[in-house]
Amino acid sequence: MTKGVKLLIGAVIVIFAAAVVFAIIGSKPSDSTWVDIVQNNKVIYHLDLSEEKDRTFKIDYPDGGWNEVQIKDGHISIIDADCPDHTCIKTGELRSESIPIVCLPHKLVIRFSDEGAGE
Amino acid sequence: MKAHKLARLALLTALALIIFIIELRIDIIPIPGAKLGLANIITVYAVYKYNAKETAMIVFARVLLGSIFGGNVSAIMYSMAGAVFCLTGMLLVKRIVPLKYIWLSSIIGAILHNTGQMIVAVIVMRSFAVLSIYPFLLITGCIAGAFTGLCAQLLINRNLDAIDNKNET
Repeated sequence: MTKGVKLLIGAVIVIFAAAVVFAIIGSKPSDSTWVDIVQNNKVIYHLDLSEEKDRTFKIDYPDGGWNEVQIKDGHISIIDADCPDHTCIKTGELRSESIPIVCLPHKLVIRFSDEGAGE
Repeated sequence: MKAHKLARLALLTALALIIFIIELRIDIIPIPGAKLGLANIITVYAVYKYNAKETAMIVFARVLLGSIFGGNVSAIMYSMAGAVFCLTGMLLVKRIVPLKYIWLSSIIGAILHNTGQMIVAVIVMRSFAVLSIYPFLLITGCIAGAFTGLCAQLLINRNLDAIDNKNET
């Protein structure tokens, strides 16, 4: 085993460990009930899930395309979209602060936010 | 380029493409953007068996055709960025990592692939919100990278070229 290989193995272990640490820190469920829906880096909705009634609504993307957002029992999820990969639907309900619901084709992000922030 | 080599590269591209398309149907990791990256078995194999130009041809043909066949052309920027980072990194790492530690360069390739995609995602979305998923991608990337690397190792140990050359003579 040469020096270069040892060095690289070390680097990989460090990166992996750092990723695990950050993942654990980030994966705790959020206690915030405020949610931002961000499109094109602009906050288009700022909602308090604890007060929202159950409903679904469509968000249109200016360049064509849409996502259908569902709010149910204080949880938010994307239930339908016309993007090809449907990653946003597979993500399911928004739970943790570090895994936002992301729809890359429509530049849409749904994430927890601080109360009052994003206004 | 000799016809024989061209045919070989085309065959590898086709193989990678088939693996890629089958993989699109495998949806076991509940993290958005995370994939097994099985098609990279071919990439890792090619990096060690062919020169930089030939490997790049295989990878770019696979990414281009893969996004057309997969019906997700809009995501090609992400795939391309990942592929460029991964390829550049592995070609550099190849200089210090011998054939015996091919899994290591595969892991590094996976890490770089995720990094490239993250950079493009941040640029496209003009927001750092997507970065929070990066650690999860790195973890799955490392594991998947190790797996694909081991697959490529097995492939290389079979010494397909030697068998092939015997058949030709």
